[in-house]
Amino acid sequence: MSQEMLVLLAKSLWETTYMVAVSSFISALLGIPLGIILVTTNKGHILENTPLNRILGAIVNATRSTPFIILMVAIIPVTRLLVGTSIGTNAAIVPLSIAAIPFVARIVESALKEVDYGVIEAAQAMGASPREIITKVLIPESLPAIVLGLTLTIISLIGYSAMAGAIGGGGLGDLAIRYGYQRFRADIMLITVVILIAQVQIVQSTGDYISNRLNKK
Amino acid sequence: MIKLQDIEKVYQSDNGTIHALRGVNLSVKQGEIFGIIGTSGAGKSTLVRCINMLESPTKGIVTVDGQELTSLNEQELREQRKKIGMIFQHFNLLSSRTVYQNIAFPLELAKRSKEDINKEVLHLLELVGLSDKKDQYPAQLSGGQKQRVGIARALANHPKVLLCDEATSALDPQTTKSILELLKDINRKFQLTIVLITHEMQVIKEICNQVAVIEGGKIIEQGKVIDIFTQPQSNTTKEFISSIINHNLPDFFKEITLASEPSADSNLILRLSFIGHSTEEPVISSMIRRFTIDASILYGNIDHIQTIPFGTLIVELSGEQASLQQALSYLKTRELGIEVIGYVARNARAVG
Repeated sequence: MSQEMLVLLAKSLWETTYMVAVSSFISALLGIPLGIILVTTNKGHILENTPLNRILGAIVNATRSTPFIILMVAIIPVTRLLVGTSIGTNAAIVPLSIAAIPFVARIVESALKEVDYGVIEAAQAMGASPREIITKVLIPESLPAIVLGLTLTIISLIGYSAMAGAIGGGGLGDLAIRYGYQRFRADIMLITVVILIAQVQIVQSTGDYISNRLNKK
Repeated sequence: MIKLQDIEKVYQSDNGTIHALRGVNLSVKQGEIFGIIGTSGAGKSTLVRCINMLESPTKGIVTVDGQELTSLNEQELREQRKKIGMIFQHFNLLSSRTVYQNIAFPLELAKRSKEDINKEVLHLLELVGLSDKKDQYPAQLSGGQKQRVGIARALANHPKVLLCDEATSALDPQTTKSILELLKDINRKFQLTIVLITHEMQVIKEICNQVAVIEGGKIIEQGKVIDIFTQPQSNTTKEFISSIINHNLPDFFKEITLASEPSADSNLILRLSFIGHSTEEPVISSMIRRFTIDASILYGNIDHIQTIPFGTLIVELSGEQASLQQALSYLKTRELGIEVIGYVARNARAVG
């Protein structure tokens, strides 16, 4: 393989890593609180608020049911507003994050729901405030599940990021399509697929390892 | 120490309205171990949760240690709850924290300093006998050990009251005993008021001074444990007691005919119940010496409610009819519960 191809591969690898890392970070930053709100405003929970719960639930569902490729195109005005352009790696981060936030929210929601309500009740009986229950009970108790959920999110984002090539986002997926598919470079296709598989493997193993270390059950 | 006045609790559920508590009045004195017994669904869990307002009553007033809890806002209520410890059937420990960190949890909530927490936790670990387990996680402990952690955690803020929600129901009899011993110990050492709910009469008998029987959201019977045990009024109470003390006649009585009036040659069958010191008095042997009668014991059962012995004996007395009546009058002058079960024809059964 030529020097030129290697440079292209390295550049694409960096773009994928960058897109996935930034959008994972943003979606965790916003998705985790959203998931916490979804759980705690549920009926009978510590911050019961049915209208808020319904509205947020509907928004999350709407975002999740839109196919990513359509979401990406549909929110181009928003992307332009946020990063000034709708083309490039930075622009791709916007739809990737928006797609992943509700995903993270639902994962966090189901992780927190697994926390036995008796433990929450015990904390209430000790005089814990809702804030203390969230930070000292809900999150620590469900951390292993949250870590696994975030792992899943990162892996999904690696997959989604391949589609970001459609708006000139770059990355390994883009490379595979433009060179591997359109220019019949089977070697490029093979290499990008192998790299993607390796990436997913590394992310999954790291996630499993951290989750296991945190799990005391 | 604890006063509940006209507590009502109504839930709205999908299947309509549930009236969990219907006007409960209860008062628990400082230092008492107060038991509340009821079948599942009787409302006892709701009742105990009303004491620390985990469930806020629909109507009524809850007062703990002179403080009316029903009139407080969330913030004030949280402060008051720190003075009320609670332990649970399923322990409800934090699985992500070690034993040490679990006990430290309420102290963290009370914003105590690190050194303070350390001192307190080590002391509590010693109290419940788990010093060697301090760095283990709840998953590595047995049920009894988990409940000990629960107790240590509940005591961390030096509460005035300890609420026990079926605290021994998930434990085997041996472990139950040791947990009850620990609770009794704590009650004595710190003059701690304990309210416990249970469906096991054994638990009440073992450690409670006072007991209330709850059924259908109402307290149907209430009093000293010894009184409730010896003179149960309601059927529910009788049923609970019969699970550990047999008040019914032994089965073989079903096969013989009992007459309510004496005839020329009939034996008298009596049930004697003893409470407290009268068990130590040799009533039967002195009766035999005084009157020319024979006595045989058909059935006997002596038990202790904590330190108070009590029991029942079913005896068959034989002799002249006049002597039998004299013996009966004599027994009635002693401090005994006497119940004439009936008369049987002599030789109706082989006296054993």
